[in-house]
Amino acid sequence: MEGDCHYNSGNFRARKRVEQAQEILNTIGISGERAQMYNLSSSEGPLFAQIAREMTEKIRKLGPNPIKTALKKAA
Amino acid sequence: MSEVKTPSKLEKILRAGHLAVTSECGPPRGSDPEAIKKKAEMIKDHVDAINITDNQTSVTRMSSLASCIHLRLMGMEPVLQMVTRDRNRIALQSDILGAASFDIHNMLCLSGDHQSFGDCKQGQNVHDLDSMQLLQVVRKMRDQGKFINGDEIKRPPRIFAGAAANPFADPFEIRVPRLAKKIAAGAEFIQTQCIYNLDKFEEWMRLARERGLTEKIFILAGMTPMKSAGMAKYMKNRVPGMDVPDEVIKRLAGVPKEKQPDEGIKICIEAIQRLKEVEGVKGFHIMAIEWEEKVPEIVEATGLYPRPEPDA
Amino acid sequence: MIVASKKPIEEVIENIKDYDKILLLGCNECVTVCEAGGKKEVGILASTLRMYFLNQGKDMKIDERTLERQCDQEYLDEIRDMADQYDAILSLACGVGVQFTAEQYFSLPVYPGVNTCFLGATEERGLWTERCQACGQCILAYTGGICPVSRCAKRILNGPCGGSSDGKCEISKELACAWQLIVERLKALDRLDDYEKLFPLKDWSSDRAGGPRKVIREDVQQ
Repeated sequence: MEGDCHYNSGNFRARKRVEQAQEILNTIGISGERAQMYNLSSSEGPLFAQIAREMTEKIRKLGPNPIKTALKKAA
Repeated sequence: MSEVKTPSKLEKILRAGHLAVTSECGPPRGSDPEAIKKKAEMIKDHVDAINITDNQTSVTRMSSLASCIHLRLMGMEPVLQMVTRDRNRIALQSDILGAASFDIHNMLCLSGDHQSFGDCKQGQNVHDLDSMQLLQVVRKMRDQGKFINGDEIKRPPRIFAGAAANPFADPFEIRVPRLAKKIAAGAEFIQTQCIYNLDKFEEWMRLARERGLTEKIFILAGMTPMKSAGMAKYMKNRVPGMDVPDEVIKRLAGVPKEKQPDEGIKICIEAIQRLKEVEGVKGFHIMAIEWEEKVPEIVEATGLYPRPEPDA
Repeated sequence: MIVASKKPIEEVIENIKDYDKILLLGCNECVTVCEAGGKKEVGILASTLRMYFLNQGKDMKIDERTLERQCDQEYLDEIRDMADQYDAILSLACGVGVQFTAEQYFSLPVYPGVNTCFLGATEERGLWTERCQACGQCILAYTGGICPVSRCAKRILNGPCGGSSDGKCEISKELACAWQLIVERLKALDRLDDYEKLFPLKDWSSDRAGGPRKVIREDVQQ
């Protein structure tokens, strides 16, 4: 979990980078929720599956990448 | 210390050995001179000179110089406060000459509060000179009759030069060196920040005396009467460099709200009575901002009225 | 070094939105160290802009290149051959680099992507603070190595002012009072007597006030 990473501080730096990315996406009108960070260990298979399902659900709700739609419209 | 150098009434009174009394008025945020004239009228018979603040707290007001001129034309004795925040050395020398042209004979040299406190936070600040360098310039203009660049001044200014001091703000090791530096820069009188911690102030005076500084400069103790316990608390917590002992706050809080202003006046009077006895204290600078009507009462209750008439 | 910070994306977009082909030009020196305009920042900004414009239905050509410096002609010459492929250059160099690039590529619009802030140092990763105002007449020998021109909000030479409180500047509790620092340093160097020496009026003619400045070394000029 957060802070338990074998490599100590890398996970905190990663979190900050993910937050940066979310902020940039929000600023340019693409939902920052499309990038998320989860903490888990390599042995937590079921948790990984659950997270993957959760994220998929979230993205489906957000809809397709708005860039695809925008390009189609412009074409 | 005893040779009078200017026609300043304040200087004459101090050099004659009397305790001086000064006060201050803030100009209006507008161009109506009546605002400043009325305040000055209230106190003129109870003080030897009246300071006019210079865009205090960086809030734009009618200029100190113009206000001083109004007072001078009414026959009063102004002290021109001049900050280095807003003017370069050309304007500083120029305004000094302007003041001298109206026979304004007292000046207080200050750096000025940072503009981020006032109404023009996005403005530039100048600080071409600092307050100590301004003192040097005033003295050069007066004593040598010369501009900064050495050119002769026609009808040099005859100005009694002062500076501010805060006995409570500095790191301990430079409190007295700072006063010595101001004297070396040319300050002839000091008006201190308002004092509530009398013990600490007396300790500063003792150190100043030890170094012989009280022989070289007239120190006027700053006094501001508290209007309420709330004001005391505000000054203690929110105003930098202010030392307000808890006993003062307790004493104010211990009386009902309507009685607090009177208690504040009482505290001020008692402080002045005590500091009158301190060797080296040569007068009082009573700052009753927006409460100017109380100045006469304080001056009378402390035995400082009537004000002496210096010899012409 | 020169410390800069990224301009808000909205401002950058507003400047380049009408172009079709732009070159995003980074710099490998100061702006890399303060993480505002180096190769990494160029990459992130390029990505961001591409996504933004694609989202608007515009397929803008945004190319990336980071030069060693943008304040030396020889490095700017490296893009001489490809410059005419672009409508505009978006430079992430400091104000010096942006201007020099504009001078070298006279007929190409050059836009700044960062705000140039001050001359300073890295106190810790992610924190850069001002140290020098380039006044042209360094007085650090007399102030224990601490500059009152750049670190005092009022550039007082005979300080501190009356607003110094608990070692902090009156404008912010987070800002150290430069004169407090100077006094402490003089004390540590056993030079507290220097404190009473009066600093004379400063000659500001070598500062910005004297007009745009230059330094010449005739012995190395060709």
